[in-house]
Amino acid sequence: MPAFSNVPVRYDEPLADAPAIAGRRTARTPRLVVIAAVVVAAVLVAPLIVVFGQAMSAGTAEASRLLLRPRTVELLRNTLLLVAITVPVTVLLGCGAAWLVERTSIPYVGIWRGLLLMPLAIPAFVSSYAWTSVLPSVQGLGGAVFITALAYYPFVFLPVAALLRALDQDQLDSARSLGSSGWDTVRRVVLPQLRPAIAGGALLVALHLLAEFGVLQMMRYPTFTTSILQQFAVGFSNAAGSLLAAVLAVLCLGFLAVEILFRGKSRIARLGPGTRRRPVAHRLGAWTVPAILGLAVLVALAVMVPAAIVARWLARAVATQAVDVGPLLAATGSSVGLAVLAGLVTTVAALPGAWLLHRYPSRAAVVLERVTYISSALPGVVIGLALVTLAVQWARPVYQTAALAVAAYSILFLPRAMVSWRSGLAAAPTELIEASRSLGVSGSATFARVVLPLVLPSALTGFVLTFLATVTELTATLLLAPTGTETLATAFWSASDELDYVASAPYAAGMIALSVPLTVLLRRQILDQR
Amino acid sequence: MTSAGIVISELTVGYGGPPVLDQVGLRVRPGGTTAVLGPSGSGKTTLLRALAGFVRPTGGRIEVDGKVLTSGQTMIAPERRGIGYVRQDGALFPHLDVTGNVLFGLPRAERRRATQVAPLLELVGLSPDLARRRPDQLSGGQQQRVALARALAREPAVVLLDEPFSSLDTALRAATREATLTALAERGATTILVTHDQAEALSFADQVAVMFDGKFVQIGSPADVYGSPATPQVGSFLGDTMLLPGQGAGPIVDCELGTLTLAEPATGDVLVMIRPEQLVLEEPSTALTARVVSVAYHGPDAIVRLSLSNSTSRLVARVPGHRVPQPDDLVGLAVPHAVLAFPSHRRPADGTEGAPTGPDWRNGRVGTASAGSDS
Amino acid sequence: MRRRTFLTGLGALGTATLVGCGSKSEDKYVADPGALQVYSSQHENLTKAWAEAFTKETGIKVQIRKGGDSSMGHQIVAEGAESPADVFLTENSPAMTLVERNQLLAPLEDATRNQVPAHLTPSSKAWTAIAARSTVLVYNPAKLPATDLPKSLMNLAGPDWKDRWGCAPGGADFQAIVAGMLAGQGEQKTKDWLKGLKSNARALQNNIATMKSVNAGEIPCGVIYHYYWYRDQVGTKEGSGNTKLHYFRNRDPGAFVSLSGGAVLAGAKKPAEARKFLQYITSKAGQKVLVDSQSMEYAVGVGVPSAPELPPLATLQAPPVDPFTLNSDQVATLMTDAGIL
Repeated sequence: MPAFSNVPVRYDEPLADAPAIAGRRTARTPRLVVIAAVVVAAVLVAPLIVVFGQAMSAGTAEASRLLLRPRTVELLRNTLLLVAITVPVTVLLGCGAAWLVERTSIPYVGIWRGLLLMPLAIPAFVSSYAWTSVLPSVQGLGGAVFITALAYYPFVFLPVAALLRALDQDQLDSARSLGSSGWDTVRRVVLPQLRPAIAGGALLVALHLLAEFGVLQMMRYPTFTTSILQQFAVGFSNAAGSLLAAVLAVLCLGFLAVEILFRGKSRIARLGPGTRRRPVAHRLGAWTVPAILGLAVLVALAVMVPAAIVARWLARAVATQAVDVGPLLAATGSSVGLAVLAGLVTTVAALPGAWLLHRYPSRAAVVLERVTYISSALPGVVIGLALVTLAVQWARPVYQTAALAVAAYSILFLPRAMVSWRSGLAAAPTELIEASRSLGVSGSATFARVVLPLVLPSALTGFVLTFLATVTELTATLLLAPTGTETLATAFWSASDELDYVASAPYAAGMIALSVPLTVLLRRQILDQR
Repeated sequence: MTSAGIVISELTVGYGGPPVLDQVGLRVRPGGTTAVLGPSGSGKTTLLRALAGFVRPTGGRIEVDGKVLTSGQTMIAPERRGIGYVRQDGALFPHLDVTGNVLFGLPRAERRRATQVAPLLELVGLSPDLARRRPDQLSGGQQQRVALARALAREPAVVLLDEPFSSLDTALRAATREATLTALAERGATTILVTHDQAEALSFADQVAVMFDGKFVQIGSPADVYGSPATPQVGSFLGDTMLLPGQGAGPIVDCELGTLTLAEPATGDVLVMIRPEQLVLEEPSTALTARVVSVAYHGPDAIVRLSLSNSTSRLVARVPGHRVPQPDDLVGLAVPHAVLAFPSHRRPADGTEGAPTGPDWRNGRVGTASAGSDS
Repeated sequence: MRRRTFLTGLGALGTATLVGCGSKSEDKYVADPGALQVYSSQHENLTKAWAEAFTKETGIKVQIRKGGDSSMGHQIVAEGAESPADVFLTENSPAMTLVERNQLLAPLEDATRNQVPAHLTPSSKAWTAIAARSTVLVYNPAKLPATDLPKSLMNLAGPDWKDRWGCAPGGADFQAIVAGMLAGQGEQKTKDWLKGLKSNARALQNNIATMKSVNAGEIPCGVIYHYYWYRDQVGTKEGSGNTKLHYFRNRDPGAFVSLSGGAVLAGAKKPAEARKFLQYITSKAGQKVLVDSQSMEYAVGVGVPSAPELPPLATLQAPPVDPFTLNSDQVATLMTDAGIL
C-alpha cells in the first residue's frame, strides 16, 4: 500500500447516519498519546519561547527601529516573492513529472522514478556552488528560484506520484461517463484528491525556503533568514536577530493557515468493496520523445550538473592525493550515527501528533500538530542558540552530547516526518481500526497489527527525509554536537571555508553517496501497493 | 434483571445537536435475527456502533446475555464485547491475505495453525482455494463473505451486520445473503442487520424494528409490521400503499372504493391504507369500475395503474402475471379482505408525527398511491 | 515478510549505531574531561597545527570545538559561566569583544601579553592578538587599470564607483573594517560611506566569492582580507589568477588590520593549562607554527617574521585603532539603518 493514502475514494459526507468527525471524536482520546503529543509540542515550542523572549528584550524603540524601515519591507517582499514563485514552480514540476511517470506510457518508469527523487540526495548548497562555478549569472531571484525549485520539487513529486499511482481508474471512468471531459476529470476528480499531497509537499518547500540560507547567500538574494544571520554575525546582542526570527515565525504561521485552507477537509480513503482497477496509462504517442526530453532536462539540471562538478573536484582530489581516508570514514561514521538516530527519534516523535489528528481530530489536535512546524522555518543557528540557552539552564548533563544534537535535528526536521505520517495514516482508515477492535484486538495491538504495517512506507519516508536533512545539517551540528565530532557536513564546511574545494570534494561526495541509496528507498513509497 | 439475548433500554446518543438516537429500546432473543429498517439518517448505524462500542452513548443501557456492556459510566471496550461487526465495505485488512484476515481475531497459536480457515470459508460459501488471495484480488461479494467469516471466526454471541449487501449487485446479493443466513443459523449467533431495503429486512429477519428519526416506531414480526403497520409512514416505508380518505363507522369504513371491512374498528375521519395486492381486478360488472391507465409487466405479476371514472384518484393494483388487462380496458375493483384505517390527522403532510424526510419517503413509496388528494 | 525483514534491519541498524556511539564515547562523542577545551572560530588547519604542536611540547591534550565567529561568540555567551570552554580563539576581534563585554574572560598574564606588540593588544588587556589580517582591494587590471585605483577606501562611496566594486558586508570580517572606519573617521563619514556602499557595491557572500567575482571580471574590484588572495596564489590561482592586490596604506580606513583574538575563559576548568596554551601560541615557537601553516595570516609575535610572500605588517601603515574600543553595536546599528543588514 502506498503510504500517501490508498485507493482514494473521496467522501466528504458522513459515512452513514452519524457525522463522521463527530462519530470518531466520541471514542475516548487515549491519555498516553495526548501526553506524548503535548510533550513533543512543548519541546518544539521551547526554543521559540526563548527566541521570542530575546526578541522582547530588544524593547519597543529598538524593535520599531529595526522593523519599521524600508529594508524590512524589502526583505519581506523578497522572502514572499521567492516563496510565491518557487512553490508553484515546484508544484508544477512535481505534479508534471509525477503525471508523466505514473499515468502515461513513458518508458523506463522505474529509472525515472529513482532519478526524479535524486535531488533529495544532493545538498542544495552543493548544487548552488556547482551551478555558480559554471554559470556565474545564476544569481538573484532568478537564480534562487532555479536552484531551490530544482532542489525541492521532489517534496511534491513524491506524495503526488504515490497518489497518482494509487488512483482508482473506476472513478476516472465514472467521471468521464458522467460527461466530464479529460481535463475536467483532472480538475474535478484528480486534483481534489491530490490536494492534501500537494499541500503537504508545498508546505515543506515553503518552510525550507523560509529557513534557507546557504543557497540564497550564494545567489546574493537577501531574505529574512540571510538578514538574521548577518544580524547575528555583526550585532553584539542577538535581540535584533531574534526579532527578525520572530517575524519569520509569524510568517510561518500564515503559511500553515494557508495550507490548512488549501488542504481542505477531505478525507481520502478507499470505501466500498470491489476490486480497485489499476490506472490506465495515457498513451503519449508522438509526445513520447518530448516527454522523455523534458524529464531528462529536469534530471540533468537538478542532479547531473551538480553531481558532475562534485565528481570533477573529487577526480582532482584523487589525482592530487588530497583524499584522507581516515577522517573521511570517521566523518561518515558520525554522520550515519547521528542521522540514523535523528531519523528514528524524529519519526517516532512525529507520530503522536499525527495520530491524534488522524483519529481524534479536534482544534487542540490541529494546534498540537501545527506548532511542530514553526521551528523548522527558522534558521538553524537561531534554534541552535536557543537550545544552547535551554540546555545549559535546564538540561546541563545532555549539553554537547549526541542526545541534544539529535533533539535539535528532530526540532528542525519534524515536519518532514509529520507530513509523511499524515499522508500515510490515510492508508489506515478508521474503519479498519474499528474492524480490528471488534475482532477482539486491543487498541495497542491494533496499532501494531493493522496501522503500523499499513503506514510503514510513510514511516520509512519520514525516516529517510529526516536522515537526508541531518546528513547535510551544519549550524546546529556545530553548536550542539559533542566536541570533537566531525560530520561530513562540518568537514565540508571547514574545507570549503579554507577555500579548498578539492579537499572538500570527498566530503561532498560522501554526503551524496550516503544519500543516494536512501533516496532509492523512497521509491517504495510510490511503489507499494495493497 | 438479567436475560439472554440483546437488551437495549433507553439508549440515547447525541453529538451536541438533537439526539441521533432518542431513548431507544430493543430486545433480540438469543439466536434471533432482527432487522433494523429505516431511511438513511435515521440512526441505524449509530445504534450498531453503540452496540459495538465505537460510540459512547449519552444515556441508556446495553446488555448482552445478561452482561452490561454500556450503562452510565460503564463502557466496555469494543474488543472485550464479543460482538462481531461486519461493515458495508467489508473493511478487510489490505495488507493481509484472506487467511490473515479470517484468523485476525484469534489467539496467536490458532493463527499459526490456520486450521480453521477452510471450514470458515466453506461456512460462508467460499472456496478454500481463495485462502491465499489478497483482498484486492477478490470480488465485492467475496470480500463481504470473507468479512463475515472473519467476524464468525471468534464465534461471537452477537453479530452486527451494517448494510452488508447494499453494494452488491442483485444476483450476488441474494447469494451472499443466503450464505450469510445459513452461516449465522449454523452458529446460532444473535444477529442484528441494519438495512434500508425492506424486502431484505422482511425476508432476512424474524423480527423487524422500524426506525425513524432516532426512534423505533414499530417492532414486530415481518408479517406484523408489513400487515399491521403502526402508522401510515411505517406502512408506506415497508411497501407500496394507497391512502384514501374515509369515514369510519365501527367495523367498516366508507371510501371511494365503497364500504370496506376494517381489521380494527375506527370512527370518524380516517385514512384507509390499501396495499396494491389487496386490490383485486374483476369483470367490469361490479359497482366499482375503473379504467386501466398503464401496465408494468414483471413476469410473475404486474403493476396496473387505474383511474376511477368519477374521481381524480389514481389507484395501483398488483395482479398475477397470467391475468393482465390492457391499457384503456375497463375493469371492476374489489377489496375482499379487511383493511387498515388511521385517524386522518396522521397524514404525513401534517408532519405531526415527525415523518421521515429522507428521499425514500418523499419520492418513492408513498407517492405511488397517495390518493384522495382532491377533496 | 519483506516488511518484517526491513523493520528488523532498521531496528538493528539503529541499535548498532547506538551501541557504536556508546562504545566510542570515551574518545569521540563527549568532551574529553582530560583535555583542554579550545573553542575556535579560527581556520581549522591553523588551530589544529597549534594544538598538535602544543601537545607535543607540553603533553597536554587539546580538544577543539570549531564554529563560526559570531555563532561561537553567541554560544559562549549563552553558555555563560557554565561554558565548557577553557580557551577561545577567534578569526576577528568583534566576537571576542562580545564575550569580553559579558565579563566571561579571565585577565591576561603579562608574560603572554608581552610577547605581542602593545599596539596589537586591546587596552582592556583581557585578550591578545594571535594573528592579523589586512584589508586590501583586489582588482582586475583588465577592468581597472592600476592608474585608476582609488586613493582611499572612502572614495568607493562616490557616484563614479557605482556598480564597480564588491564586498561581503554581511560577515564578521567586513564588520570589523567598518568598526575601524567608525573609530577613525567618525559617525557621519561612516554613515555616508555605508550609504554609498548600499548603492554602489555588489553584496557578495564572502571574501572568496568577492575575489572570484573580481577574477571573473564581473566587478572591477572588491574589498577583502589579504590572505584569501595569497592562499589562492600559492595554490591553484583558480580564483585570483587575473587579479592583483592594492594596499591603501596611509592610515586609510582601507588599510585596517583586523586582529584574531585569543583569551582564557573566566570559568575555565583548566585555567593553568589554558594560560599555558595562550602563552604558547603567541610565543615565537607558536607564531612559527602560524607562519608554517600556510594560512598566510600575519604573525603578531614580537620578532617573528610573517610568510615571505607578504609585505611586512609594519609597511602597511594601518590606521591606529584600539580593538577594544571598536564599537560593534553602533556598527550594527549603522549598517542596519543603511539597509545593508
